[in-house]
Amino acid sequence: MKRGTMRTERTDTRGVTINLLAEICETDVSTIEGAQRLREDLGMDSLQSLELLSCVSEALKIDLDIEEAMGIRTVDDACEFVLSQYQDQRGHGRS
Amino acid sequence: MAAPDLTAEQAEPEVVDLLLPEVARFMARDVDGAAIDREGLIPPAVREAAGRLGLFGMTIPGAYGGAGLSLGAASRVVAEMARVDRSVAIMVGLHCGLGTRGLVELGNPALKSRWLPRLASGATIASFAATEANAGSDLMAIRTTGRATEHGLRIEGEKSYVTNGGFAGLFTVLARTPGLGGARAHSLVCIPADTPGIVLGREEDKLGIRGSSTVTVTFDGAVVPLDHVLGTPGKGLEHAYEILTWGRTLMSAGCVGTARGALDAARAHVAARRQFGRAVGEFGATRAHVAWMAARTHAMQAMVSSVAELHAAGSSIEIESAMAKVFCSDGAFEVCDRSLQLHGALGFLEETGVARMLRDCRITRIFEGANDVLLVRVGAGVLGGKGTFDVRCVPELSDVAERLEGAERTLRHEARAMAERLGVEAIRHQVALQRLARALIALRAAAAVLERASGESLPTARYTAELLLEEARSWLDRLWWADRDEAAAREMTDRMAAP
Repeated sequence: MKRGTMRTERTDTRGVTINLLAEICETDVSTIEGAQRLREDLGMDSLQSLELLSCVSEALKIDLDIEEAMGIRTVDDACEFVLSQYQDQRGHGRS
Repeated sequence: MAAPDLTAEQAEPEVVDLLLPEVARFMARDVDGAAIDREGLIPPAVREAAGRLGLFGMTIPGAYGGAGLSLGAASRVVAEMARVDRSVAIMVGLHCGLGTRGLVELGNPALKSRWLPRLASGATIASFAATEANAGSDLMAIRTTGRATEHGLRIEGEKSYVTNGGFAGLFTVLARTPGLGGARAHSLVCIPADTPGIVLGREEDKLGIRGSSTVTVTFDGAVVPLDHVLGTPGKGLEHAYEILTWGRTLMSAGCVGTARGALDAARAHVAARRQFGRAVGEFGATRAHVAWMAARTHAMQAMVSSVAELHAAGSSIEIESAMAKVFCSDGAFEVCDRSLQLHGALGFLEETGVARMLRDCRITRIFEGANDVLLVRVGAGVLGGKGTFDVRCVPELSDVAERLEGAERTLRHEARAMAERLGVEAIRHQVALQRLARALIALRAAAAVLERASGESLPTARYTAELLLEEARSWLDRLWWADRDEAAAREMTDRMAAP
């Protein structure tokens, strides 16, 4: 994968994740920071975190493993998890 | 507690053993449940008597004039009160749980010194305000906001269904506090009721717990010093979830008490009532009802004890307190319903008191986390491997324990299969999640029963655990049809014309 493509994918999946997160938290995208913890800082319980990832999975048309999803703690964790799954699944020709 | 004096020499269970008869005497002597229900008011004299007995201080540390009882000990006291009257039990339980827990655990020393002694004596009653008109189970949706100003934190917003609100002297309020710990931050704030800018709505006219005070509280620019924020500013939701585990456990204990009251009433009635030449209680169908009610009450008690022991051991009780809340609130309602049924037409009349118990416990399936939502949450936890438990029991019950472990393995297998098949999409399959949760709760309750069984309680424990195992298997069977049921429901409701 070319460097430029990787950066674009990173931006796209991160953008989708953070936009959906802002929507669920009913807040402005600009207030979301990578280091924020979903539970402690954003007040999301486990169900809401899974709801977020379910929305991401739908939007990006990828499968996300629930057990791994439950281990996510921060906004950056969520974005990295989504990106890695996206690249894995797209890299293997899945859509 | 104030009256029996907790001393270092006495172990807590012994103190509670001494206290419970006093609580029973207080409830019998000072509390007229029917009058409280009829008039929709707990008389101030009842509050004062409860205060003299030390009930409001039972979970407040001794350094501040309370008895510093554990969650388990306080649960036994709340259950004893609820056996007689749920309005009074909820007034005290809310004060000891959601009302004061935040201050006890998270308040700064000055705030604790100022408020806890009077909260312990009952001179001030505590309340908790989180729910809003558009924010029930979804606490993230709250709109009440606290903004830091040069004078302190200025609160604007309206809280609904505030228990104890009509006579509370101190509110613990969950508010958005942008600027305190981040733009998205929420904080828990202690707000004295005499703060200018607080307006109380009228008392709500309710189906049950009619004596319990339930009002809307409007904060119209109420200002409190910044040191009234409890715990870490900005961590309010996290703190609220933690406090809710206490509240739910005490509320579950209240359900145990209500169930005991309904069971006692049913037993007395079926022993006295004669039909077809025999006491109604001698018929097999009646015995089956009574045995079921006794078994369910026994399991509810075991579940509450189990949660309290986990808490005492320092473990998180987030998922366990939710499971207990669902199990106990549903259980109490069904025990009351069966008790009413056994009373025949007489049960439908208010004079037996069973109708009141049924009305009183209906709300427990809704507040402090609606059961429907908690079930989805517990079900999601099962998918993530949460809610595991050990099965320990005496050798006489090892056959039941083995079957229980087998059922748990099946449950985990089904959960793994669902997670693998659906990934995070599983979160949208709410009916399946609820059935998984129901199965887990039944198994968890059975395990709690087996763990506590010994001597004379062995036959009751065996019967109770067998019933719960059957329930769990039935929910696992119905798991097969969950997606079909949810799809059919979607189709049907989509076709329905707008009301």
